[in-house]
This record gives sequence, C-alpha cells and structure tokens, in this order.
Amino acid sequence: MKNLSATPPKKPFNSLPVWFSLWIALLWLIVFDLDISLQMLLYGLDDMAEYFSRYAEPDFSDLPRYLHLMMQTIATALWGTLIALVFAFLLAPFAARNLTPNKVTYRLAREVLNFLRALPDLLLALIFVAALGLGPLPGALALGVHTAGFLGKFFAESLERVDKGVIEAIQATGASRSQVVMYAGWPSILREAIGYTLYIVDRNVRMASVLGLVGAGGIGLALHDTLRFFKYGESAALIVVILTVILAFDYFSTWMRGKLT
Amino acid sequence: MKYLPLCWPTRNGLPPLALVISFAVVFGALAWAAPIAEINPLRLIASVPRLLSFIGNILVMPDAQYFPELFRKMLETLEMAMLATSIALAISLPLGFLAAKNTSPHPAVFHFMRTLLSFMRALPELVWALVFVSAVGLGPLPGVMALAFVTVGFMGKFFAESIEVVDAKPIEGVEAHGAGWLQVRTFAYLPQAMPDFIGSTLYILEHNLRAAAILGLVGAGGVGYDMVMAMRLFDYDRILSIALGIYLIVALLDRLSSHFRSRVI
Repeated sequence: MKNLSATPPKKPFNSLPVWFSLWIALLWLIVFDLDISLQMLLYGLDDMAEYFSRYAEPDFSDLPRYLHLMMQTIATALWGTLIALVFAFLLAPFAARNLTPNKVTYRLAREVLNFLRALPDLLLALIFVAALGLGPLPGALALGVHTAGFLGKFFAESLERVDKGVIEAIQATGASRSQVVMYAGWPSILREAIGYTLYIVDRNVRMASVLGLVGAGGIGLALHDTLRFFKYGESAALIVVILTVILAFDYFSTWMRGKLT
Repeated sequence: MKYLPLCWPTRNGLPPLALVISFAVVFGALAWAAPIAEINPLRLIASVPRLLSFIGNILVMPDAQYFPELFRKMLETLEMAMLATSIALAISLPLGFLAAKNTSPHPAVFHFMRTLLSFMRALPELVWALVFVSAVGLGPLPGVMALAFVTVGFMGKFFAESIEVVDAKPIEGVEAHGAGWLQVRTFAYLPQAMPDFIGSTLYILEHNLRAAAILGLVGAGGVGYDMVMAMRLFDYDRILSIALGIYLIVALLDRLSSHFRSRVI
C-alpha cells in the first residue's frame, strides 16, 4: 500500500495574479506610449453627448441616391465573393493535407493563402485603385483577393476532415486525383462550404460599405463626404441605411446557415 | 422542410434541384450585380499594363531613412490592437454571461443583450472610427475606441455562444455545494469555457491588428495613414516596405496565435 502523508498537499502556486498585474502594467505602458489622456476622454464626455445628439435627426431627402449606392456596395460584395470562391475552389484541394499531390504543393498553397489573408482588404483596395483607377471594380478585386485567403483556409481545413473511407472508396474505382477531389472532397463538405461562403458574403457586404473611402465605389465615400462637410443629418441617414442592410444580411445568413446544418 | 435536400452525386445522375435553384439565384444576382459593380473584363484586361507599370514603380530600393519611423508606426498599430482587445475583453466578459441563454438572469435581458451586441458589431470599425475621429479628434484614441466598440459586439457573441455549450453536470456539482450566483459563474462556467474564450480572444486580436493597420485611412492612428500618404504623394519607395511590414507582423501574429491555440484546445 502506498504511504499516505498525514499533511494535506501544499496549495499549488497560483501564477494568475502575477500575469494579470504584468498585463495591466503593459497596458499602462501602452496607454502612456500612445499618448492617450484619460482626462481628455472624461472632459470630452459632455461634448460627446452633445456631439452624438447631432445625429438624432436623420435626413432621408436623398434616399434614392443612397439606395443606389448601397446596391453598388452589395454588387461589389457579391462579385468579390465570387472571385474569392473561384480562387479558393482551385487552391483549397492543394492546401488540404489529404488531397494535395505532395508536400511542396501543400506548403506552397498554404503560403499563398496566408499571403492573400495577411494584407487587409482596404490596403489592397488602395493598391488596386492606384493601379486600375476609381470605381467598384478594384474594390471587388480587393475583397476577392483578401477573402480568397480566408475561404481557401476554411475549405482546406474542412477538406482535411473528410472521412478517409470516402476518399479510399473513390480511389478504389480508379479515379484520378481531380476526380477524387470532385467526387469525394467537395460533395462531403458542401454544407460547410456553403456556410462559410455565406459568412464571407456577410463580411464582404460589411467591408464593401467602407471601401468607398479609398475610392473603390459604394456607399463609404458618401458617408466620408457628409461627415467631412458636417452634414450630420445625412450621415445619420447613411448610417441607418448601411446598418439596415448589414443587419438584414446578417439575419439572412444566420437563418440560412441554421437551415444547412 | 428542415433540411435542404443536398446530396451530390444524385441517384439519377442529374444535379439536385436545390443546387440548381441556388445556382440560378446566385448567377441571377451576379448578372444583376455586374453592370452596377462595373465589372468589365475588357477594362480589366486593358488595365493590365497599368498594373504592371505600377508594380514596376513599387519595386524600387526602399527608403532606408524611413525605417525607424515605420517601426514606430508598426509598434503603434500593434499597441492599438492590444489595448483595444484588452478593453473589449474586460467589457465583453460580463456581457457574454448576460447574453448567454443559460446564465442570463432573465430572458428579456438575454434578448436585449443579443440585439445590442449585433448592433455593436454591425457597422465596420472604419465607420465608427470616422465618427469617433470627428468626436474626439485625430490620433490613436478614436481608433482604439472604434476597435474596442466593434469587437465588444463580436467577443460578447463568441463568449455567449461558448458559455451556452458548457456541460451542465459540473455546474450542478458546484451548485450542490451551495455556491452563490457569482461563484457558480466563476468556478463552474468560466473554467469550462476558458479554452474557447482564449481561442476567440486570439482571433479577435488578429482581426484587430488587421483593422488597426487600416484605421489610419481616416486619421485614427496606426500605419494606415503612412500608406495613404505614400500613395497620394507617390512615394513609391515607401509603399512596398509598409505593405511588407504589415504582412510580416500579421503573419507573425497568425503563427503565434495558432501555436497558442493548439496548446490551449
């Protein structure tokens, strides 16, 4: 029989307070370094209340123009998603460990997806606007390139979870690699893939509404201009339009994803 | 109809009806959207030379004198993301408990919190940054405020969802010891949901870093401002180093967070 000690075991050292205080210290340093004065924030609270009251009366007199711009925003988001979907459809099988031809293609595809994902879409839009000129087209391209990285990663991760038996069954019929991908890979993850695509559509509508800031079409430019000319009523109306459309897309995609799983 | 009849390949060899309908809807929407979004393949092909000449312009020797300044700006971006994530974490932890079906004190509170959170995350950071910049002036403060505001919406929802899926048995166990309302939440719910919390916090940190890199577009601090100015002033020797700097820091955080995530979960 094991020798049991009479004294209870020592309480383990709890390192949580140490980490917590280090974290707070780091945050304090950051606040100090960023020159954020909390005093200013506190003094500004009254001004802020007054400032936000200026948005209280939305001015919907220019609504048809806003709706047209919003339509352009949605169109940009849809085309961006299509571009992303095409890229991801081609790249994802190479980035999935169980379907990729060899290690080199796997690493290469993963790195390409990482690279696409790393640059924020607004920076890409900035670059594409400089290269292609103004309009929604560079916006759609930027959204497509950026979200292709996300979609490709999601698809690849889903493809890696495909049941081995399904893949073997298709391989046993003498299917080529592309046939395995088409008849074992994609059909097994169809629901998940549609779910991810809906999520990306949702996200792209959100981002497309600010792409206008860099001249890439959509409603963002109008919002920027009205804020710059201090037309708070019109800004409020624009925010209401954007908010409504985004919430509608959010509910639609949540509902649709609920139906799928 | 609870589930869409999705099955592919089908028995009769024809594509399933649901897929045909959804493809028709999607392509209809895309065709409708093409002229509005000015999608024009000809224009795309016609602008290839411009794209190439732009790339040629970018690929020059980087401006070495700018590097210390760039480093300073990158650090500022990282700091903004960390500060905003910490503030959002502190706010959304209690909100998450109020917005979870099983820990919310009352269904009315639950519905109210869920609606509030979805409103907070509806608008992109940049819109809030625009509003906050015109409220408190230029600098990192409005950027941090905008980031924290939006990510409270996301984090609260993520936290609430991970609280809702915790196992009920440990909670009963803790309750059986006579633990109070707050004790049940800190000693039964929180430890179980912790891995999920850490995972979503890391995801939010990554998201915030990307967002902080572009907030400078509207004057809310960070490296984005330099990028816009370099574009406007045609400082081509800076564009590539800024883009590479952002790529490097985002990729680094991506690696770090996936390392942590695999250790936690």
